[in-house]
Amino acid sequence: MTLKIIVMMKQVPDAEEIFIDPVTYTLNRTAARGVINIPDENALEIALQIKDKVGAEVTVISMGPPQAEEAIIECMGRGADRGILITDRAFAAADTYATSLTLAATIDKIGKYDIILAGESTTDSGTGHVGPGVAEFLDIDQVTYAESAEVVDDKIRVKRILEDADEVVEVPFPVLVTVLTGANIPRRATLRRKIDAIKKGIERWDHETLGLPPDWIGIRGSPTIVGAVKVPEEKKRASKKISLEQIPEMIDELFEKGIIKREDGA
Amino acid sequence: MSKLINCVPPENIEEYKNVMVYVEHRNGSIVRGSLEMIGRARVIADKVNEKVICVSLGDNLSPIAEEAGTYGCDIFLGAESPEHRYFRSIPYAHKITDFIEKYKPNILLISGTREGRDLVSRIAVRVRTGVAADCVELDVEPKQRLLISWRPAFGDKTINQILCRKHRPQTVSSRPGSYPVPEKIPGRKCEVRIEKVKLDEKYLKHRIVSRKPKEKLDLTKSDIIVSGGLGLGKPDGFKLIRELADVLGGDVGASRPVVDLGWIPYDHQVGQTGQTVRAKLYVAAGISGKIQHVVGMKASETIISINNDPDAGIAKYSDYFINADLYKAIPIMIDEIKKRKKGSGGAKKSS
Ligand SMILES: Cc1cc2nc3c(=O)[nH]c(=O)nc-3n(C[C@H](O)[C@H](O)[C@H](O)COP(=O)(O)OP(=O)(O)OC[C@H]3O[C@@H](n4cnc5c(N)ncnc54)[C@H](O)[C@@H]3O)c2cc1C
Ligand SMILES: Cc1cc2nc3c(=O)[nH]c(=O)nc-3n(C[C@H](O)[C@H](O)[C@H](O)COP(=O)(O)OP(=O)(O)OC[C@H]3O[C@@H](n4cnc5c(N)ncnc54)[C@H](O)[C@@H]3O)c2cc1C
Repeated sequence: MTLKIIVMMKQVPDAEEIFIDPVTYTLNRTAARGVINIPDENALEIALQIKDKVGAEVTVISMGPPQAEEAIIECMGRGADRGILITDRAFAAADTYATSLTLAATIDKIGKYDIILAGESTTDSGTGHVGPGVAEFLDIDQVTYAESAEVVDDKIRVKRILEDADEVVEVPFPVLVTVLTGANIPRRATLRRKIDAIKKGIERWDHETLGLPPDWIGIRGSPTIVGAVKVPEEKKRASKKISLEQIPEMIDELFEKGIIKREDGA
Repeated sequence: MSKLINCVPPENIEEYKNVMVYVEHRNGSIVRGSLEMIGRARVIADKVNEKVICVSLGDNLSPIAEEAGTYGCDIFLGAESPEHRYFRSIPYAHKITDFIEKYKPNILLISGTREGRDLVSRIAVRVRTGVAADCVELDVEPKQRLLISWRPAFGDKTINQILCRKHRPQTVSSRPGSYPVPEKIPGRKCEVRIEKVKLDEKYLKHRIVSRKPKEKLDLTKSDIIVSGGLGLGKPDGFKLIRELADVLGGDVGASRPVVDLGWIPYDHQVGQTGQTVRAKLYVAAGISGKIQHVVGMKASETIISINNDPDAGIAKYSDYFINADLYKAIPIMIDEIKKRKKGSGGAKKSS
C-alpha cells in the first residue's frame, strides 16, 4: 500500500517586500508578492524525498485566499500529486485554534494518511502553534523541529534540533512532523508538471465541504483577538560620543556606576 | 479517532483563579525562560492577590521545587516518573491538562522554548482556550483579571495586543529572553505536591533513539557580552574581542554575517535568528546596527558600540558610542580596565 503524506502549506507575503502602513500599522498585503512559507518548502522537500525513496502519494493542503492556488500549483510542479485549497470568506481572521481545527477537519475528510508535514512556523504572523494544534485535534503523535526525516518500515525516524541537544526519535504512523527552516534545499518545479497541475486542477473546499458550522471557524471560532497595535517603543539612549582620548573617562564612569566591577568586588 | 470540536468557553470564568507556570528544567535546574515566567507570574499574581502555581514533569523534581520556591512559586505541582526523564509531547500535554482541569488557573504562562512551543497549543486545544503567542510584554487588568499580552509580528515591525476574553486559562507562550530573571530569595519555600505517576506503555512507542547534548553557549544567561561584526575585517579579529570579553569576565557574541562566514560558531549569534540577550553590559564592535541584530540585544542595560563610521545606525541604540577604529579603541579599553580591576587605590588613579 502506498504511503499517504499530507503537507500543510501557507502562502505568505514575501518577507523582503513586507510594508507596514505608517498610519494604520497594518500590513499592506497588496504590495508584497505571495510566496510559499519557507519551512513549508522544506517540509514538502522531505515529503518528496520519501516519495522518491519508498513511493508515496503527496497531497498539499493550504487554507487561504483564492490566490494561494498559485503556491499549490508550484508545489505540484515540484512533485506533489494532489492539491486542495481551503478557501472561504468565513475562514477569515482565524486564530491558531480555528486554523488548526479547519486544517484538521480537512485532513479528516481526506481520510487515510500516514505522515503529516508542516513548517515550524510562518514568516508572517509566525506563532508556530498550528502544527501541534492539528496533531492534538487529530489525536496523533508529533515530532517538532525536524532537520531530517526518513521512513523505516512503518515508522518515521526524525532528527530534531533542540536548544541544548540533538535528538533522534522513532515514532509509528500516523504522525505529524514540523520541519525547520533551511532543513534542506528544495527542488525546483518543472514547467511540464506545473502545466499538468493546471490541467488537473486544484480542488477547492469551503466550510460546507468540511461540514464545519460557521461559528466554529474564522473570527467567530477564535478564542483570541488581536487588539491594539503599536510600533515598538525604543528606549532612548544617550548615544554619548566618545573619542579614543575619552575612553579612560568612560571606563571610570562604568566602574563608578558598578557596571564593571573591581576584582575585590568594590 | 479525531475529536474536532469548537472552542466552547467555560460557563463561569470567575471560578478560574491563580497564575500557573509550566516549569522546564535541564540537568537539575530550571531553564532561564521558565524563571522569567515565574517572575512575571509573581508580579501578576501580586496585583490580583492570587497564587503562583508551578507545574513540572521529570524523574527527580524535589530540587526543581526547591528552586521554584526561591524564585517566587507558592505551590509546586509535580508528576514524577523515570520515563519523564525525556520529554514526550502527548503524556506531558495530558498531565498538564489534568493539572489545569483540577486547579483551574486564570492564567497559564509557558516560555516559548522549543519544548514550550511543542506543548502549548496541544494543551490549549485540549482545554479549549486560546494562546497569545510569542509575547514580549504581559500585564493584567486587575478588575476583570484580564491578561494583556503584546507580541511582535511581521519581523518585529509592529507589536500587537492579544486578548483572550472568554476562555480560560488565558494562555501565553512567551519569547525567551524578554523578561529579567527574578531576584532569588534564598530560603523562600513553597508548598510541594509531587505525585509518582506511571507512564502508559503506549507512549513508549515514541522512542528516543539518541540524545546528543550540545556544548552550547547560552548567551541569554550572560551579564556581559562583547560582540564582533563584519567590521572586524578578518576572522582573527575575534582574538581581540575575546580578550576584551575576558578582562570583563564576559562572553563573546557576534552578528550574523560573521557566523555565516564561519568566523565563529552559530551559538554566538545575537539577533532575530540568533539569541535574544539582556546583558548588563553589551559591547558591539564593528556592527552597523541593522534591526535584525538590534532586536536581539536592545534589552541590555548598558550598550557600548565601537564603530568608525560617525553615522553608523548602532549609535542611537548605544549609551556610549566610541567613534573610532575598533583595533585602536579595544586595546585602550583593555588596558584601562585592567588597571582599575586590580588597583586597590580606586578607579580615579589612572589617566
Ligand atoms: C498580528 C497578528 C498576531 C496574531 N497573534 C496571534 C496569537 O497570538 N495567537 C493566535 O492564536 N493567533 C494569532 N494570530 C492569528 C494567526 O496568525 C492565524 O491563526 C494563522 O492562521 C496561524 O498561522 P501562523 O502564521 O501563526 O502559523 P504557524 O503556526 O506559525 O504555522 C506553522 C505551520 O502550520 C502550517 N500552516 C499554518 N497556517 C496554514 C494555513 N493557512 N494553511 C496550511 N497550512 C498552514 C504550515 O505548515 C506552517 O509552516 C495573529 C495574527 C496576526 C495578523
Ligand atoms: C531574515 C533575516 C534574519 C537576520 N538575522 C540576523 C541575526 O540574527 N543577527 C544579525 O546580526 N543579523 C541578522 N541579519 C542580518 C542583518 O540584516 C545585517 O546584515 C547584519 O546584522 C549586519 O552585520 P554587521 O553589522 O556585522 O555587518 P555590517 O552591516 O557590514 O556592518 C559592519 C560595521 O562595521 C563598521 N566597521 C568597519 N570597519 C571598522 C573598524 N575597523 N572599526 C570599527 N568599525 C568598523 C562599519 O562602519 C559597519 O557599520 C538577518 C537578516 C535577515 C534578512
